Amino acid sequence: MSVFRLGEQRPPEPRRVNDDVVMRFDGVYEVEPSKMRVFAQQDMPAWDTHRIVESRWEHLDWMHDHFADEVLSTGLESETGVGH
Amino acid sequence: MSVAMKSAVDDGVIEELRGILGDPDRVLPGLAARVNRTRVPAPFPVHRWAEHMPDVAVLPTTAEQVSEVVKLANRLRIPIVPRAGGTGLSDGAVPLRGGICVDCKLMNQIKEIDLTDRTVTVGTGINMLKLNEELKRHGVMYPDDPASYPCSIVGGRIGTGGWSLLGARYGHTRDLVISMQVVLPTGDIIEVGEGGGRKLRHSSTAFNLKQLFTGHQGTLGIATEATLELVPRAEAEFAAFFAFEDYMSAYRTTGALTRSGLATIAGVVLFDEWKLRYLRRDDEAYIPQPESVRAVVAAAMYGARCEVEPASRRVMEIGRSDGGKYLGDEISQGDWASRHDRYATPLHGRLRDGTVAPMSWHCEDAALNYSVLPKVREEWHAIVERYIGEYGIFDDWGMFAYTSGAYKPWGDYLVEIDVGIWEQKLDDENWAAWVRCKREIAEVSLKYGGSITACHGATREGDAELVPTEMGSAWGVVKTIKRALDPNNVMNPGKQSLDEAYES
Repeated sequence: MSVFRLGEQRPPEPRRVNDDVVMRFDGVYEVEPSKMRVFAQQDMPAWDTHRIVESRWEHLDWMHDHFADEVLSTGLESETGVGH
Repeated sequence: MSVAMKSAVDDGVIEELRGILGDPDRVLPGLAARVNRTRVPAPFPVHRWAEHMPDVAVLPTTAEQVSEVVKLANRLRIPIVPRAGGTGLSDGAVPLRGGICVDCKLMNQIKEIDLTDRTVTVGTGINMLKLNEELKRHGVMYPDDPASYPCSIVGGRIGTGGWSLLGARYGHTRDLVISMQVVLPTGDIIEVGEGGGRKLRHSSTAFNLKQLFTGHQGTLGIATEATLELVPRAEAEFAAFFAFEDYMSAYRTTGALTRSGLATIAGVVLFDEWKLRYLRRDDEAYIPQPESVRAVVAAAMYGARCEVEPASRRVMEIGRSDGGKYLGDEISQGDWASRHDRYATPLHGRLRDGTVAPMSWHCEDAALNYSVLPKVREEWHAIVERYIGEYGIFDDWGMFAYTSGAYKPWGDYLVEIDVGIWEQKLDDENWAAWVRCKREIAEVSLKYGGSITACHGATREGDAELVPTEMGSAWGVVKTIKRALDPNNVMNPGKQSLDEAYES
């Protein structure tokens, strides 16, 4: 039986993205902690953050599949200078 | 005249309902069952929850059971409130006077799939996603696609006259329902379609009653069975999102896309500056975007690959023709897929200082022509800004304009302003303020020749009192129809100002 220990899965310290947002993992954003006063930010282990991000992509793929056999791509990145 | 004005449900009524339903587990007078059938996702006066609870919920499985329940309600003058997925955004399924909640979720059978005449006949308690999972194996689809696609139900779509994300390509709910069985407010069961045909798309016999029984918000009856359109499942989907430095360039590009003549366009969406500000603070796709991104246009297409692939190149040309910058495949495909399932979005808003607060989502909609979108946008945001400043529990989440015509993307739009509301702070004063805010937004829509709702319904305070104004010279006919079909005002009473039909 595996035992979950938060201490072994503690995420890295956040990096500031802008005045409202911080980031612990690339492309995964969190609200700047000082703005979470009304209700506290949840203490998330790293594996759970990764699970939620992965499951979101699975959900979107599943959603696409409801409407068409194939999703056509242009093969192009964002033209605003921001990849994702 | 004696009309249903307040609940009269007692132990005798509960016993009679159990006799009609034939299964005590499908008559639910307990508190939990009633609390869970009180509100819808739209912000709600939570401090007055008890005023809106039904007295009992029932889960019929046949039209005959629905009919007997409605006849009982007429005999005892008990309000009836139909409820499907409960995903509506304007309180259509919220009881105003207690009564019997007729929950249609157990009438969820697929009764016939006709691949020759291209129809599917279902009980109205079925969800579109579950229906399409079954239809997929036959290479067909029922293309009614609201933002609540995974959780809303065919019966509710009929009752509210639903709008579909794919409506420009395939039509909306009222275009996709070919015929239906309806239990009238008297308990009589009728079949309505084009003329007398169950599977006919067009007839000129007598009146077109089908449309009368679509979009009435549960005030004219309960649909218990529907025969629906089947379309070939799309081979290919293409979605493209373009960023703009100003709203007017995005607005012109939206118009150009809708006038392109590309038949596979299913929808075009315009996000305004306020929406971009909201997304940039809290949406992972937009947080990293530069400040120069102030508006976005999205286009989506469905059809055979041989149609969609060449048309996608034309969409890319038009999207970039007035300064638009493609946002890339990842955002385009991911954001479009999420449009089918907006109810999965956890909701929070921001106070003036940027602090996160738990907020529920109010989506105020209107039907508006293309020509008035820029002006309406300015006036709507000015109204919301005034209320944010005065009350501090609201948050402007920006506006969308979605193409709204059936089978054609040009001309008119479902326009929405999303407003976050801190429900826990609602009291009578704050709720009254919110209702005034809604009413002012709706009055702007009327001022510009629009309708106060494109698909949510005019069933809650702030909208309902404007229905007679919007209907104008036709309001007398509306009242005559309501009174003729529902002589005792049992069917979802108090909605859309229809009580006026019973004033002497």
